[in-house]
Amino acid sequence: MSRKSRKRKRTRGARSKQRSPSASTTRAYQQAIRQADEILSENDAEIRADNWPELALDWFASEEPERDILVRYIAEHKQKLGIPWARDLLRLEVFFQAEDHLQIVEYFERAFPRYPRCALVEMWVADQIFRHGGDFWRARQMYRYAIETLPNHPKPYYELGFMSYLLGDFPGAMDGFNQAADRVADDDVELAARVFYNRGLVRYFLAGDRRAAIADVQEALRRKPNYPQAKEALRGLRGRVRWVPW
Amino acid sequence: MLVEFSLNQSPKAAQPSIAEVARSSGNIDQALSVLPSFVPERTLSEARRLLQPWPDGRYTEAYHRSGGILNLFTPPWDERQDEVWTEMLAEWEAQIFPNDQARQEAFRALEQQWNTTPHPFFAGLTPAQVMVGGGPQEAELASEFLDRFTRMLDGRPFESEGQMLIKTLMLLRGWECQPRKDGRTPLDIIVAERNELLARRARALSGETG
Repeated sequence: MSRKSRKRKRTRGARSKQRSPSASTTRAYQQAIRQADEILSENDAEIRADNWPELALDWFASEEPERDILVRYIAEHKQKLGIPWARDLLRLEVFFQAEDHLQIVEYFERAFPRYPRCALVEMWVADQIFRHGGDFWRARQMYRYAIETLPNHPKPYYELGFMSYLLGDFPGAMDGFNQAADRVADDDVELAARVFYNRGLVRYFLAGDRRAAIADVQEALRRKPNYPQAKEALRGLRGRVRWVPW
Repeated sequence: MLVEFSLNQSPKAAQPSIAEVARSSGNIDQALSVLPSFVPERTLSEARRLLQPWPDGRYTEAYHRSGGILNLFTPPWDERQDEVWTEMLAEWEAQIFPNDQARQEAFRALEQQWNTTPHPFFAGLTPAQVMVGGGPQEAELASEFLDRFTRMLDGRPFESEGQMLIKTLMLLRGWECQPRKDGRTPLDIIVAERNELLARRARALSGETG
C-alpha cells in the first residue's frame, strides 16, 4: 500500500516520476530538492515558527491514527525539531506524492539522521526500501522498530507478514496477518482488504483450509468490493482450480 | 545450487553419490575423481567447499549455502540478521547455570537445536536440511519452476529491482504449495528428499552403505 493510496489531498505539481539510477548524483539530488521546494511554495506551504507543527501534521499525517502518532512525536521532541525538520518532512512528503522511490530513500538517509527516530516516517520509508529497493533485511529492522514503538498500528505487522510469506515462512506470515487483522480499522479499507486477502491465501497454503481461506477472501471483498485479485482468488478457491493466484 | 544437486546424485541407483563417497571415505578428492576432466576448476573448488565435514557445533556454513530452489531468490543474509539465533542466544545468556561446564553443555545443546529447527529465513528448512543440499527430485522441480518463471516473466518490464524480486518470490511461494497429482506439493517433495539425504548421510558416516 503506498501512501498515495490513503485518502490524501493531492498536491499541485507533485507528479509521478521515474528516475534512472544514474540520476542519484549530488546534482540530481539538489535539483529534486529545489523542485520539491517549488512545489511547496506553489501550494502555499510557508513554514514559519508559528505553524511548523500544523503544516507537518497536515501534510504528512492528515488522518487518524497517524496524526495522533505524529502529534505525540512532536510533543516529545519539540526542542529537537522545529522549522528545519518540518521542511524536511514536507519535502519527503512531496517525494512520496511524486512516487520518486530513489529520492525518498536518499532524502531520508541524508536528512533524517539528525532528528530523533520517528517510527511513523520509518514505517513509510521502509516500504520503499522493501518494495522498490528489495532490501528486505533493512526494511525488516525498520518495521520491527515501528512495532516496538507503535504496537497498535496494523501496517508494520502486515508488512512483516507479507515479508515472511515471501521468505517462505508461512507460520510467520500467518502471525503477522493475524496481528494486523486484530488492529486494522474498518475505515482503512485498503489495508484491511489486503490483510484479509493475504491471510486467506496463507491459510490455504499452510493447511489447505479452503473454507477458512474463502471466508477471509470474502471479508476482503466486503471491505473492498472492487478487488480483482480477491475475486479471482475466490473463483479459484471455490472451483477445482489447483493454482490459486496470489 | 546445481553443484549442490549434482553432489547428491547417484550415477546409478545402487551406487553412492559423490557426497556419500566423500563422507564415508573422508577423502574429498577421491570422491571428486569420478568427475570428467573437463569440469572447471571453479566448480571443483565449490564442490570441495560443499563437501567439507560439518562442524560439531552450529552449522553456520548454512548461511552460505544456496538452500536450493526454495531459497534461491532470498536476499543474502547471515548471522547478523538471524533473529532466531539471536533470541536463542539471549535466552541462554539470561539463564543461571551451576557451573561453567553446565553452561557450555547448554550452549552445545542450543547449537544442535538451531541446527535442527525449521528456520523462517530458510523457507522453513532446518539448517541441517540446507547443509545437506537438494537431490535429483529437487533438481527436476527447480528446473520446472525456472522454466515456468522464465515463460511468465521473461521480457516483462519491472518498475524496480524490489518489485521484480517480490513478483518472483510470490510466484515461487504459490508454486511450491500447489499439490501435484499425488497430492504432494513441491515443498513436501523437497523436504522429504532432503530428510532422506540426511538419513543417507548419517548411514554413510556410520560406515553403512547408502
